[in-house]
Amino acid sequence: MWYPTWALRQPGKLWGKLGLDEPTQAVGQDGHVVARNETAARCGVTVGMMRRSAEAVCPTITTIVQDLRVEMARFEPVVQAVESLVPRVEIAEPGTMYIPISGAVAYYGGEEALCERLDKELEPYGGDRRMGLAAGIFASYQAVRQTTTDDPLHIVDNDAEFVRNLDVESLGSADIAATFRWLGITTLGALAELPVSAVVTRFGREGLLAHRQAQGMSRRVDPRSIPEDMTVESQFDPPIEDFEQASFVARNMAQRLIGNLAPHGVAPHRVVITGIAADGSERSRTWRSADPFSDKSLAERVRWQLRAWIEGVTGGIHGGLALLRLEPADLSGAGRQMALADDAKAFEETQRALMEVQAIAGRENVVVAHPQGGRDASERVLWTRWGDKENTAERDLDAPWPGQIPGPSPALVPSTRIPFDITWVDGIPEQVRLRSRWVPVLSWAGPWRRSGRWWDEEGPSDQYQIVTSTGAYLCEVREGRSYLLAVYD
Amino acid sequence: MVTRLHHSVALTTLETPDIAHDFGLLSLAPGQIAGLSGLPGSGLTRIGLSLLAPYASRGTLVYLDVRGWASPAAAWELGIEPDQFVVVRSSDVVSWGRIVATLLDGVPSVYAEVPRGMPDRALYKLAAKARAQRTALVLRPITGQLPSGVAHLNLVAREVVWEGTEAGHGSLKHRRTILAVSGRATRGMERTIEIEDNGTNDLRVVSDMGAQTTGEVVG
Repeated sequence: MWYPTWALRQPGKLWGKLGLDEPTQAVGQDGHVVARNETAARCGVTVGMMRRSAEAVCPTITTIVQDLRVEMARFEPVVQAVESLVPRVEIAEPGTMYIPISGAVAYYGGEEALCERLDKELEPYGGDRRMGLAAGIFASYQAVRQTTTDDPLHIVDNDAEFVRNLDVESLGSADIAATFRWLGITTLGALAELPVSAVVTRFGREGLLAHRQAQGMSRRVDPRSIPEDMTVESQFDPPIEDFEQASFVARNMAQRLIGNLAPHGVAPHRVVITGIAADGSERSRTWRSADPFSDKSLAERVRWQLRAWIEGVTGGIHGGLALLRLEPADLSGAGRQMALADDAKAFEETQRALMEVQAIAGRENVVVAHPQGGRDASERVLWTRWGDKENTAERDLDAPWPGQIPGPSPALVPSTRIPFDITWVDGIPEQVRLRSRWVPVLSWAGPWRRSGRWWDEEGPSDQYQIVTSTGAYLCEVREGRSYLLAVYD
Repeated sequence: MVTRLHHSVALTTLETPDIAHDFGLLSLAPGQIAGLSGLPGSGLTRIGLSLLAPYASRGTLVYLDVRGWASPAAAWELGIEPDQFVVVRSSDVVSWGRIVATLLDGVPSVYAEVPRGMPDRALYKLAAKARAQRTALVLRPITGQLPSGVAHLNLVAREVVWEGTEAGHGSLKHRRTILAVSGRATRGMERTIEIEDNGTNDLRVVSDMGAQTTGEVVG
């Protein structure tokens, strides 16, 4: 089941009214279009396009920035509606779910009858919804992607036959698809005819998976049984009612789960998240990922789910969350091989230590940074809370940024301007005060004029690099007063 | 007496153990502690980070930021990957010791600013823990110096000479810092060295200015 325009849904404003007149697009955190309506499509906007390009071809387009947690909170009632007909639904992402229908088909009297029943159940939620039916996960995913608004149902009779005609692009890896094309293999059928040993020799595990998919076989479920103790569970007394607190717990548990599985060389493709409220009511949801979950990706899913439960339209968790359980399933060895230099134990210990420090110093005070564009030293750093997804850069790193103070970068940059005493003689800096004593200025560079952010009523300023016998400082003179901006320590 | 070396040597990587062994300076083995003293601006942050940079290629380097002034750009210029550099901000004297102790339990390298008023006893305990856990630790007191016996390597900034700026022209380009080095790394003798820093990922010891017993700068 796939809602191709789920990301476009905005409660109140655009709910259920998209596709009529106003061109609209949803943009992911990486700046690419993840969904657009028919009007935008007619203007030339395609999924995967950069936001700027989309706005260039369709200047009047309305842009919605994707927030997966909010989307999941809105998707939860839809999942519950499906589960009222077919149990054990698995969510891939907000807007996409896998529904195991083998039992339900018999109960409802056939595939089409079941699809009609599902469609009727989901009618109140509106939107463009599509269904693809196949025996395997890969084929059903490809089938639903081939549906259109006018033909929203695709039933695959024979998975192997169906996938034979698919383009190699459908494997989901641009690199491997490009290599296959270069070798003259353009369809999965052509790939399936190659001897598996040759594909594995050339492409390794990725090639083996591609070959299996080309033959219509879904990813093989690892036959190893999952030991009981692989399930991670936490009880909370008093129960958790705050999402921030629950979010912190989610990350901790996700790391424990993935950490416990790592020594076995496996990671889960499917995780059942179970929450028990203080009043005893239990709710459970299964999440699926095409790639094995990492601790970060799993923590993200658990957070989305907890937000959907705690803050969602379903009324929250009565009395708070008393127990949270993560149960792994569908284990796979893919993607768990660490590099030769990696030390799994050291990595785990570091993660634990930093989480503990977060508990002592506060989550906001444990941060990592990435470079971004900007003129000032403080602007060129993009801070993100440790463990969170990296924030989107506000300024282009590769832009020229005229007026930028040249390197080397200062090692200390106060978060606010600090008053800095400088004595001037005929516009030339003579002495600066460091703590309680005055130190002569040996040399200086500047002034470099800044026009200031006039739109924020910020006046012009002059910046100087000032050198003394004890160090160098970046200073600013603004409205007759001097400030310390950075220290070259 | 002043001894000048005839060649420049980069000492910031563990891949040069022979050189590090020869000089015994500006390298920090697991479990060793370096203490940095001097006014902000003397280049000690970059020197401290360069001591820990080799550890950041294999694991996380944590900077415990007491003033809230740490800027990672200098660490990136030293070749430390952004994902490997974590900043913990805490100005609270009470929790500072707990934070450092926790970090020593799981992080291979820690750069910690030491807040004012930290009791010597706490620093001795943390030093013992760093040695036991084999964590490379750099301590930078906000004011004053570390109590004796805490650090394997004590670096005190004596003088900084910048090149590139002149009467309003140019911009900062190149720095030479003169440091007094003491501790077990120098077998108890104080030595004076000069470090060259041009903003790239290598700091260079350009001259070992000889043994000093007075702690004065060699002119």
